[in-house]
Amino acid sequence: MTAPTAIDTIRVAFQADLGAVVTAQDLQSVRDRYLGRKQGAVAALMKSMAGAAPADRPALGKAANVLKREIDAALTQRGDTLDDTARPVGSVDVTLPGRALPFGRRHPLTLIREQVESIFETMGFEILQGPQVEDDYHNFEALNMPPDHPARDMQDTFYLEQPMPGGGEGATPPATLLRTHTSGMQIRYMESHEPPVRIISPGLVYRRDTPDLTHSPMFMQVEGLLVGEGITMADLKGTLVSFLQAFFDAGTRVMFRPSFFPYTEPSAEVFISCVFCEGTGCAVCKQTGWLEILGCGMVHPAVFEAVGYDPERYTGWAFGLGIDRVALLKYRVEDIRLFYDNDLRLLEQFPH
Amino acid sequence: MSWLRELVEVPVGPAGAGAGGPTDIADLADALTMRGFEVGAVEPWPTADGDPPDAVLDLEITTNRPDCLSVFGIAREVGAIYAAELRPPEVEPTVASAADTPISITITDPALCPRYVGALADVTVGPSPRWLAARLEAADVRPINNIVDVTNYVMLELGHPMHAFDYATLAGPEIRVRRAVAGERIRTLDGIERTLQPDMLTIADAERPQAVAGVMGGADSEVGDTTRTVLLEAAYFNPISVRRTNKRLALSTDASFRFERGADVSAPIAAIARARHLLAVIGAGRPRGAVVDCFPGPPDPIVVRLRHQRIGHLLGQTVDPAFVAPTLTRLGFAPRLETEGESPTWQVTVPSFRVDVHREEDLIEEVARHHGYERLPTTFPALTRPAQAAGGWRARDQTVRRLLTGCGFSEAITYGFVEREAALAMHVEASDLVALSNPLSEKGAVLRPSLLPGLVDSLIHNRRRERQDIRLFELGSRFRQGAGETPSLAVALTGAAIAQHWTGPERTADLFDLTGALTRLAEGFGAQVAFEAGTMRALVPGRTARIQLTCGAHTTAVGWVGQLDPTLASRRGLPGSRDVYVAELDLRPLTLDAFGRLRAAPVPRHPSVVRDLSLEIDDALPAAQVRGTIWAAAGPTLVSVREVDRYQGSGVPAGSVSLSVRLTFRAADRTLTDAEVQTATDEVVSALEQAYRAKLR
Repeated sequence: MTAPTAIDTIRVAFQADLGAVVTAQDLQSVRDRYLGRKQGAVAALMKSMAGAAPADRPALGKAANVLKREIDAALTQRGDTLDDTARPVGSVDVTLPGRALPFGRRHPLTLIREQVESIFETMGFEILQGPQVEDDYHNFEALNMPPDHPARDMQDTFYLEQPMPGGGEGATPPATLLRTHTSGMQIRYMESHEPPVRIISPGLVYRRDTPDLTHSPMFMQVEGLLVGEGITMADLKGTLVSFLQAFFDAGTRVMFRPSFFPYTEPSAEVFISCVFCEGTGCAVCKQTGWLEILGCGMVHPAVFEAVGYDPERYTGWAFGLGIDRVALLKYRVEDIRLFYDNDLRLLEQFPH
Repeated sequence: MSWLRELVEVPVGPAGAGAGGPTDIADLADALTMRGFEVGAVEPWPTADGDPPDAVLDLEITTNRPDCLSVFGIAREVGAIYAAELRPPEVEPTVASAADTPISITITDPALCPRYVGALADVTVGPSPRWLAARLEAADVRPINNIVDVTNYVMLELGHPMHAFDYATLAGPEIRVRRAVAGERIRTLDGIERTLQPDMLTIADAERPQAVAGVMGGADSEVGDTTRTVLLEAAYFNPISVRRTNKRLALSTDASFRFERGADVSAPIAAIARARHLLAVIGAGRPRGAVVDCFPGPPDPIVVRLRHQRIGHLLGQTVDPAFVAPTLTRLGFAPRLETEGESPTWQVTVPSFRVDVHREEDLIEEVARHHGYERLPTTFPALTRPAQAAGGWRARDQTVRRLLTGCGFSEAITYGFVEREAALAMHVEASDLVALSNPLSEKGAVLRPSLLPGLVDSLIHNRRRERQDIRLFELGSRFRQGAGETPSLAVALTGAAIAQHWTGPERTADLFDLTGALTRLAEGFGAQVAFEAGTMRALVPGRTARIQLTCGAHTTAVGWVGQLDPTLASRRGLPGSRDVYVAELDLRPLTLDAFGRLRAAPVPRHPSVVRDLSLEIDDALPAAQVRGTIWAAAGPTLVSVREVDRYQGSGVPAGSVSLSVRLTFRAADRTLTDAEVQTATDEVVSALEQAYRAKLR
């Protein structure tokens, strides 16, 4: 059989096979039969040409290549017109649900706390953690709140029936109360470190408040303290404005207003433009357009004296922020007590 | 507002605005708010035709400013805001007639009462005139009769509490300011009979207490319709003493509220003079005799040095010296220029009503308030040394959260105090409990000795709200009398480990889901964990294990894992009968130190060889023990042992279990030969036969 005849035979057989193709799999097997590298009919034809006369070879080779291109084009064209609705063998319904993999969430208060921490970390603050059971000295006295100070009424305190071992480092008096703020940790830090000081202390604190929508006898707080030479109230404003704009959004407006805390002088309350109405007035901000967000001030010299810092040389500022309050505002949760119910229907709304 | 306008010259309205005053009452309220006196509400107050609009301002006064618990105190602030003149109220002209002193006053304890001023007035008791009663009502003080109303009026106006005794009921003209004798009794104006203690100060006549000093008068000397002469009292009482007394008696009054914050020791004379003047003005009485002032040791005024430079140093902005002295003067201070120049200093005499001002910073706050916080620039403090990394606790806690949320556990935060019964049910002896002396309720009577009571309650909370599958954890402090406050981790699990899916049925969680999670946790710290059968209160015997943690060179028993006692769970309110598994561990031994020393081992270059062994073995034998024997016998080429099947039933004798283990062998330096692996496997089999009479199946 001459080579051109062989080419024609293949061409005829291919047309017959192509006509019988129904599925993509059929098409693939036809492609394998004719164009397969080892077993394919075209490959066999090429191989057989080795025995042809040298003078005929170029023409034969050319014809074989034409056949190869023909077959390839025909297969590709047939593939384009194959019925798309035909399901390949082994296909699955990809719209069925996948298997649920375990996926837990961090607590919303943890999320807020970590956001606050990371903003202050970028500003060079060290993060500290201190004991929740405290002694009177670290919670009150060293903070310019001697016994019988009326300001102690602002922080109604849970007391222990019997003192228990104190949680601080080094020699520490027995604990007699649940801390009402995390300031005790700041005192401990200053007792053992010389300025400059740049710390925040997040943690749970306790006040003997009857629970309601906005009060919980336990809540989470973060306090900050910065001490050094030449630290000013303008620095306090700058740092807190940066923080609040980083935390809420860049357009947040911030207002500082005089207030009173025994451990700061001057003292200020800080308000942000209401996150609900953007300052136009709503029920949450009581139509004022402002939300109280934190308390702060320049560290009272009596506090520096208590820890052995020279108040003439060093100045500093401190602030305290309620994590729960921020979480209520940021996530628009209506009741602070929900944070301690740990209802998964709430928790599972938060990011991982 | 009209009362305020009487005391300070503030033109409110467009005219006022032209002169630097407020445009309206709301504007004035804003100005006060921005100086630290938050105006909570402005209520319009009815006025006669033609009068300027009137309103009641509801102010919040911080505890350091008792001087502003009065209209005059606020007038002084308003005067400083608008540079307006103060108009002190009219008083009775001083009649210094030492001869005419109808009463005698003795103070036995000047520390508790440094000053007592008394004066008499002959009175006709009746209702107050409408204007006076209306002003009391605006301040939420109930009008009683013209005499009592005048004393309250003076308190609201000048801030100094007063009292009026029915002079006829006193045992003579003698007033003794003295401590109570233990057990002495007095019926106070509220009609309650009270027993006094020696640390309480009383105002007594020659015979008995007639008032609890600074807190409340006695009912027996109450001014009533038949009163003809009153003894007016204006005194200064020690704040701490008043505070202790009103706490002990659980009796807080307008008077004690002011005294405990600090009254003005200079005010009593003015208060008496104002009261006698008002009595005359409203036709309720006329003075009798001189004012008697018992003031054994008047204190020297406080003088504080104020450096202009220090103001800028603290605020971060230079304040014009020409602003400083006039502002302080309007607030009642007496600044005397000490050194002149661009940055002067002053010696500032502090008025006696400013009990909050002791040092330079206090004066700087006064300057800052009236300068305006809003005018301070915003700057950013330079870093003068690198930031310090947080302690190891932070990375530890973050790693725990990451690992456990990855295992499907959600983070809970529960209260630091729990019910005593719930605490005792879990893990702890009564003597180790830390009780609160003033809990809000029995539900929070003791500090939590374990995180489990709170976490189990949270699990139950969810279980009672249609939730079947629950995985929770909590990181936090626990409190024990012996160990103090320590960091702890609790985990709780119930429901499906693998939820029902169209590919297969649900698999209910069991103990091994929890021990698996704890193993994952340990691995996340580069640590190992082992479980030893044990028994523990609140956990089901036979399904309880002690957790042994090996972190670095240390192996520590860190806590417990097991099935929660179902009766305890249902007593706490758990519905249904599905198992609950819990674990709690001490977090202190868990550290990331192992990763600090981490050196990566070479990735294996030679293939491993796997051999499966099926053994018939005593079913009471702990798997950990079998595993230990295998490790010891196999030699150095064994790299892993895994239990792949456990079967009991037909073909396995009672008391035995068919255990399949998969052994993986590998050497770092060569491909193991079949013969080497076979030798190691034979060693394992013979060791198991010898040790446990195990049979190869």
